[in-house]
Amino acid sequence: MVQINFAKREINCKLVYYGPGLSGKTTNLEVVHKKAPASKKGELTSIATEGDRTLFFDYMPLELGKVGGMNTKFQLYTVPGQVYYNATRKLVLQGADGVVFVADSQPDKMDENLESFQNLEENLREQGLDPKTIPMVLQWNKRDLPNVLTPEELDAKMNKYGAPTFEAVAVTGDGVFPTLKKLAQIVLEKLNREYGLQNDGPGGGSAPAKEPPKEKEPAKAPAAATPPPKKPAAEPPPAKEPVREPAKAKAQDDRAERERAERERERERERAEREREREKDRERDREKEARPKPRDFNVTPPAQEPAKKGGGKGVLLLLLLIAVIGGAVGAGFAGKLGPLQKHYDDHLRQHLGGGTPAGQ
Amino acid sequence: MAMKPSDTDQKLRKQRLIFYEDDIGRINKALENYQNLSKSRCNMLIDVEGHPVTQVGSTEGINLETIAALVAASFAATKEVAKILGETEFSSLTHQGKNESIQLSIVGDRTILTTIFDSQDTTVGMVMFYTKELVEKLNAIFNEIKSRKDSGKPIFNDDFKDMSGVLDDMFGDV
Repeated sequence: MVQINFAKREINCKLVYYGPGLSGKTTNLEVVHKKAPASKKGELTSIATEGDRTLFFDYMPLELGKVGGMNTKFQLYTVPGQVYYNATRKLVLQGADGVVFVADSQPDKMDENLESFQNLEENLREQGLDPKTIPMVLQWNKRDLPNVLTPEELDAKMNKYGAPTFEAVAVTGDGVFPTLKKLAQIVLEKLNREYGLQNDGPGGGSAPAKEPPKEKEPAKAPAAATPPPKKPAAEPPPAKEPVREPAKAKAQDDRAERERAERERERERERAEREREREKDRERDREKEARPKPRDFNVTPPAQEPAKKGGGKGVLLLLLLIAVIGGAVGAGFAGKLGPLQKHYDDHLRQHLGGGTPAGQ
Repeated sequence: MAMKPSDTDQKLRKQRLIFYEDDIGRINKALENYQNLSKSRCNMLIDVEGHPVTQVGSTEGINLETIAALVAASFAATKEVAKILGETEFSSLTHQGKNESIQLSIVGDRTILTTIFDSQDTTVGMVMFYTKELVEKLNAIFNEIKSRKDSGKPIFNDDFKDMSGVLDDMFGDV
């Protein structure tokens, strides 16, 4: 589900590549990752089995740039295509804003394509999403293989909602970007329609239906084949919209950055301080280790000197031994747990002693 | 002819998370306070779809977007495990490492608090202790956000008409 963050002037959308096993979903994502400019893409993360079959999902973030004043980001996911993994497929599909259905163009894969598409419809409905209205693009992949079905045949069998279709050879990268480009366009136009209705006014909105039906675009189709762009919002957001002016925004960002840096420095100082304390503890422990053994105790604590002259020497030594070991263990615990204990004590004092917890 | 959004779309629009600067300011303040008390390293709020909302603390060396996606998936998977066991969900999850650990706590029904902490600085118990207090605070903020009337204002400004140029820049003129 799209997240709109006016504080960052950012929009986040989730796009999912769906389709049967081995149809080329992960390959699509790998191509996008390979071809996208380095500054616009994040890491490609795969949760895959040893045999490179997707176990949970593949993921990569892609930053489109400023669209209508908002920094637009896409999170691209693939689902595991194998029938067995329907539970994880559902999880990945949760909150999807758009779907690329990657179909294998080979005739003997048609049943798998249809089964996967039906599964997509079921899973979308289960999550309250409407397969008819969710932005969707179909990709006829593996066009380089011999004896593949024609786009018309694939369209007739699979494209029941009239989604845009693209031919592709994902392994060579052909058709991968046009597919994603189209989906990105549909998702953003839908969002603009949803949040621009008031401005369009009755009759003023030229928003198209979900998409013009049966728009088929081969991999090398010109951009002009895309549907007419929707009429833009009639006016920019009013002043009371929480939009920061650039200069102010920059100043705030700078200040926030400085504060963050200051906090970081403070944290580093605290870490160093704690490390020094720990080192001192360790030093003390080492010193204790180096002290004379219990049998020599009669020479260490001067305060105990007179006692050793008295009777019951064995009992005295035993008592001394218990006292010293007890002290050493206690000091060790106090050194390790002191800061945490103090922290808990402070907090309890604040709550139980009528004090106000910090920051409230 | 303008298309009326379907019932599903209307429902989605109501569920959609929209954060304004003031919201993020309040959330960040609560997170910072919690971070100081719990002595954690970094705190992120992400939505259940895996989009980061905001974060405070030291994020050096952490790929926020990837961790957000993985955390959301992890939470979603665990929710299914909870259902199998007859629970609605597990409200918190902890992954403990030798040095760095992470705790996830559900906030409201749409966001996940992600706390990264160093086991030398604090303990799971301490983090959990303060998390409860923070989650209550954040829930109150989220309830306000949820009950706020949709402003109905457009998201995009007039530059939206240049979208195709932006798409061309990214994907080429195809």
